[in-house]
Amino acid sequence: MESERSDSPPSGSAPVAEVFNSIRERSIAENSMVVLLQGLQGEVTTVELRNESSARGRVVNVDAFMNVRLDDVTYKDRQGKSTQLQDMFITGRNVRYVHIPDHVDIMKTIESHLAKIHRVRNFGSQGRGRKEYAKKAK
Amino acid sequence: MVLLKDIRPPTEGVRHEQAETTAVMDGQKLGCGTLYVAETRLSWFDGSGLGFFLEYPNIGLHAISRDVSAYPQEHLYVMVNGKIKGENEVEMAEKAGDDEEDNSSNSGDEDDEGVITEIRFVPSDKVALEPMFSAMCECQALHPDPEDDDSDNDFEGEEYDVEEAEHGHADVPTFYTCDEGLSSLTQEGQATLERLEGMLAQSVAQQYHMAGVRTEQPNAEFEGMEVDAAAMEAGQFEDADVEH
Repeated sequence: MESERSDSPPSGSAPVAEVFNSIRERSIAENSMVVLLQGLQGEVTTVELRNESSARGRVVNVDAFMNVRLDDVTYKDRQGKSTQLQDMFITGRNVRYVHIPDHVDIMKTIESHLAKIHRVRNFGSQGRGRKEYAKKAK
Repeated sequence: MVLLKDIRPPTEGVRHEQAETTAVMDGQKLGCGTLYVAETRLSWFDGSGLGFFLEYPNIGLHAISRDVSAYPQEHLYVMVNGKIKGENEVEMAEKAGDDEEDNSSNSGDEDDEGVITEIRFVPSDKVALEPMFSAMCECQALHPDPEDDDSDNDFEGEEYDVEEAEHGHADVPTFYTCDEGLSSLTQEGQATLERLEGMLAQSVAQQYHMAGVRTEQPNAEFEGMEVDAAAMEAGQFEDADVEH
């Protein structure tokens, strides 16, 4: 099943900035705990994979499908052998656990990330956005 | 070694192509060829018609490895769930014997058993590793997990859709191009157009007489001014250059 993008840019292409690329991704994110993971951007944490290996690194981005991008990764395979990897992209389906660092306030992270989604969603109605093509009468 | 014969390289949706790339599968060098990162699948061909492809849903992770103490060359590491399907099943069974898990089925979805294939793409040009990695990230994101039960959530309310706001014509006055516009004029519009065109014609004609000379139809307002009085009446050639 391919995801359908109802508006502009293709996803995942901007490496650093957090990206909400489509209405669909936003609605998936706000209805699941993935918003918490998205709030972990910049944190160093451990991701455990379903095949018993794990990756510890800095979270670059997490999208609505739980695909995780990490930086400066220490990857430990099932046998326990460690390797250093510079950039890593883990497919969401392969994620078993994502460790939340102790210093992260879970509720606050969720709330602030949901607020971000809502700001984008309501961008036009709060008096921002391009006025010359306002959808609603002024 | 698992190679598929007679598969053609993809022609559409290729986000990145990297020639002179050696493929190593589970430690075994397959040779030097070209990697194609296409939107539909990832594939590699050695130039003599042999190659293999990977479906993105089967790819567990991919990463850039620059740690030469782990592997002597910088490369793109790809971890695939399951074993790569091939024509020669005898070879596949031999491979399975190397793993601790029992690989009784040929399906690529046996990731619960933890069977994986490790593939390394070693380009001769190490600078290419970043674009190779990025292209794979983009293509991977195009294939979200179809089994994910959250993926059908749709937002019911109204969102600020940038494209719709900019291109939608709900409250915007319609603009016509020249050709279609003429037929869309109302009677009043037509009259206005004729009047303006008349003024235009008049002021153009007067311009030729006027350069540097007092106008024949002096306007009290502009007495004492030598140039461009008529043009200022019309108001249309304020910034036009009149050649002297």
